[in-house]
Amino acid sequence: MHGYAITTHIETSSSDILRVEEGSLYPALHRLEEARLVKARWMVTPKNRRARVYEITPAGRHRLETDEQRWRAVTVAVGQVLERI
Amino acid sequence: MSWWSRLTNVLRSERLDQDLDDEQRFHIESRAEDLEREGLSRQDALEQASRRFGRPLNLREDSHDVKVMTRIESLVRDLRFGFRTLLKDPVVSLAAVISLGLAIGACTGAFSLIDALILRQLPLREPERLVYLNRATAKDPTSSTIFSYPFFDRVRQTVSSHMETFSMSEQSLRQAVLYDAGGVEEKLVAQFVSGNAFDVLGVGPSVGRVLAPSDDVTASENPVAVISHAFWKRRLGADPGVLGRSIQLEQKSYQIVGVAEAGFTGAQPGVLTDIWIPNLTSRFAESIRNPHMGWLQVWGRLLPGATRQALQPIVRTTLANLDEEDGGKARGELAAASALDVVDASTGLSRVRQDFGRPLLALAAIAGLVLLIACSNVANLLLARGAARRREMALRASIGAGRGRLLQQALVESSVLTLAGTGLGVLGAFSAVPLIIAMLSTNEHPVYLDARLDWRVLLFAVALGSVTTMLFGLVPALRASAATPGETIAHGDQRHTASPGMARSLVVVQIGFSLMILFVAGLLLRSFDRLLSVDLGFTPERVSLLSVEVRDRLEAAQASEVARQMLSRVESMPGVESASMSGWALFRGWSWGNTVDIPGRGSVQSRRLAVSSGFFRTMNIRILDGREFVPKDAAALSPIPVIVNETFARKYLSGERAVGSRLTTTNRGQLISYEIVGMTADARDGSVRGEADPYLFSLIGDANGAVEIRSSLDPRTLADYLRKELPLVHPSLRLVDVTRQTSLVDNTLLRERLLAVLSGFFAALGLVLAAVGLYGVLSYAVVRRTREIGIRLALGAPATAVMRSIGGRVALAIAAGVVSGLAGGLYFARFVETFLYETEPVSLSSMGLPVVCLLIVAFVAIWSPMRRATCVDPVEALRTD
Repeated sequence: MHGYAITTHIETSSSDILRVEEGSLYPALHRLEEARLVKARWMVTPKNRRARVYEITPAGRHRLETDEQRWRAVTVAVGQVLERI
Repeated sequence: MSWWSRLTNVLRSERLDQDLDDEQRFHIESRAEDLEREGLSRQDALEQASRRFGRPLNLREDSHDVKVMTRIESLVRDLRFGFRTLLKDPVVSLAAVISLGLAIGACTGAFSLIDALILRQLPLREPERLVYLNRATAKDPTSSTIFSYPFFDRVRQTVSSHMETFSMSEQSLRQAVLYDAGGVEEKLVAQFVSGNAFDVLGVGPSVGRVLAPSDDVTASENPVAVISHAFWKRRLGADPGVLGRSIQLEQKSYQIVGVAEAGFTGAQPGVLTDIWIPNLTSRFAESIRNPHMGWLQVWGRLLPGATRQALQPIVRTTLANLDEEDGGKARGELAAASALDVVDASTGLSRVRQDFGRPLLALAAIAGLVLLIACSNVANLLLARGAARRREMALRASIGAGRGRLLQQALVESSVLTLAGTGLGVLGAFSAVPLIIAMLSTNEHPVYLDARLDWRVLLFAVALGSVTTMLFGLVPALRASAATPGETIAHGDQRHTASPGMARSLVVVQIGFSLMILFVAGLLLRSFDRLLSVDLGFTPERVSLLSVEVRDRLEAAQASEVARQMLSRVESMPGVESASMSGWALFRGWSWGNTVDIPGRGSVQSRRLAVSSGFFRTMNIRILDGREFVPKDAAALSPIPVIVNETFARKYLSGERAVGSRLTTTNRGQLISYEIVGMTADARDGSVRGEADPYLFSLIGDANGAVEIRSSLDPRTLADYLRKELPLVHPSLRLVDVTRQTSLVDNTLLRERLLAVLSGFFAALGLVLAAVGLYGVLSYAVVRRTREIGIRLALGAPATAVMRSIGGRVALAIAAGVVSGLAGGLYFARFVETFLYETEPVSLSSMGLPVVCLLIVAFVAIWSPMRRATCVDPVEALRTD
């Protein structure tokens, strides 16, 4: 997916609750790219424009899993704390 | 490899930014399209899309930094900026680069020479296990590595459990005829070695085989030889059919059985051997039983576990035993068994090193001083520049550059200067080093040094460059990077605030070092001049020396007749004033020592030379008493007429008249009596320095030796004439060599000449650098204080007062430099004292002349800035703000 597609995907998936300052997506993507968690290449769109598309790597997938687990654990923990209040 | 792409991105920075821009643009346009679809106008859609995107430039920079090695990038940027800054002031930058280049080049050249001559180990297997024997006599260091064959043979046996012994003669130029030369003679560097030499050294063949012990026998019917790879390539064009061909070396024929491996040219750095011949097939083989005839160096390779110290007592005992067996009559030098040492030979045994090693080191030290002067010059330059760019630095600091970043930029600029200087210097060294090696070479002793620019030398140059950069760049960089934005910008246009104190102390340094070099160079130059004007006792100018030899063995009477006819033919040639002959020419480097018995006074040692009648006349040696030889002296058999020199008479015949005295010598048991018929003034031989030796001259009996011809004609003309005439006197009489007497004398002064020429060059260089530095410092002071000067002049101050205030402190600095320079020079002079001749470091002229010279140069250097100071137009000066 190219960067814009990722942006719109986040917006639609989160029902517009999560809005990214759109530009700041790119440094983040580039950091992921340098860390080999995603890989990127140029392609030409049907409208004849140059776009850079990103794809997750196996290492990236593994990292995603770990981060996801941690996120869920944190969420559960926070929920539990809130319940007890 | 993300680090690889991050590295390459440094170089394709613009392309990278373009890609990032493209990506951003795609996003914004896509968003704009979507917004348009929702109903917004194109204009509004784009506007909103951009707004939602954020700040494109900042984001692009963030991405850029992710994708690039920022450290390297900043370095590259600094490099480019540094280049541009230096180009903005081309004259000054060029001056800095050239002075650095000359200084670094001098040091690098010196290092490469020192490495080739002194430091480099022999390119052999385990060179640290190689040793040679050295007899340390105070009088004559070179001959003390030469031993007789019986000694070598005995040592070989006694130390066999400690080391494998082999022997090598010294290298010498010999006449040879090669198989492709059509009978024309040429000179080869030949060396005699024992049969096992190649094996012990660990040198193999590149073609054919190397020498073996079986080749080293006296009764060899088919003597063999091995040639060096370099010789094979250079002279024989790497002829593949070289094996089996023969070489005539001094009338003996040798068959070439192999070519040594490439890169091996003997174990004596500085001289390339062309051909190796087994000891016992050489013409010295007749002397293998003679314990008094020295012609071999004794070498060895220590066996595992053996040490040099353990060997020492063994070889000393061997020598002492041999001496006893000889009847204890060994001459003074041989008998000093207790001074026999086993010396490490990992860097080889080099006559060239003995002659030129120490002078080279002294010159290297001087080159180092020149480098320091150059560094302080450039440091001053950078300080001045740094001060002028204070605002720029402050600006950088204010937009976020840390101190480290500013420091890096300043240092990178210094490095650019050094890089350019090092490149220039290495090129200069590359071209100068062969010239210096050529200065060390003579016809009789060609020198070859493999002083190539290999990785060691380049590494040295780089290291030197880094140290140099630190030396001159660090302090200015620290100062420049200390700029604080607030006060600097607030101070307005005080653009020139370099601390004069720092500049002045650098002036002290420059003047001091420059004077040191001038002082030492002055000593060496004066010493060389004194040597050149020593009264030699004879007149070498316009004397040509032609070596002749008679191939056939002649009867004594026929031989002297041949000699007489030859000389009369030569003298009859138009343009020839006088001709004579001697066993060898004066200053040839050969000598013949004799023990002479004087009745009533005992045995004395004297040098001896066979000369013809007319020798003293041709050489212009004064006869103080008695007469020259005359032709009829040849027939006088008892007593044989001889001539002595003044020193002989003074040392051994004091109190009585030399002419008329009788002498005797003993030769193989027979008593020979002589009568002195003449006494001459002392003529130097062998060395310009020192005292003359006592000399005994006898009449030459054959036609082998050197013909001295006093004439204004060119030696080559004389040679051509002789080549035609000699065979007419006798068919086997041939011309072997031609040179000038002055060349032979000059060749003994090579060391001193090298020192004088190079130190003089460095002194001039140091002076120029110091002058340039002074000029720069004062110019800058004037510029810096233009406003102040203008005010003073406007208020009526006389020109002299202005000059005093500008130059006063600098003059003090110069004075301090002179004092410290003299002190340093006197200290340094101790190390070159051994090279000096009749020159006292501590004397008025030795110290005074360099100081005067320096002061004159300093005066010239500061003249122009000072004049400019007095010509400052007050109105202009106040306006320059």
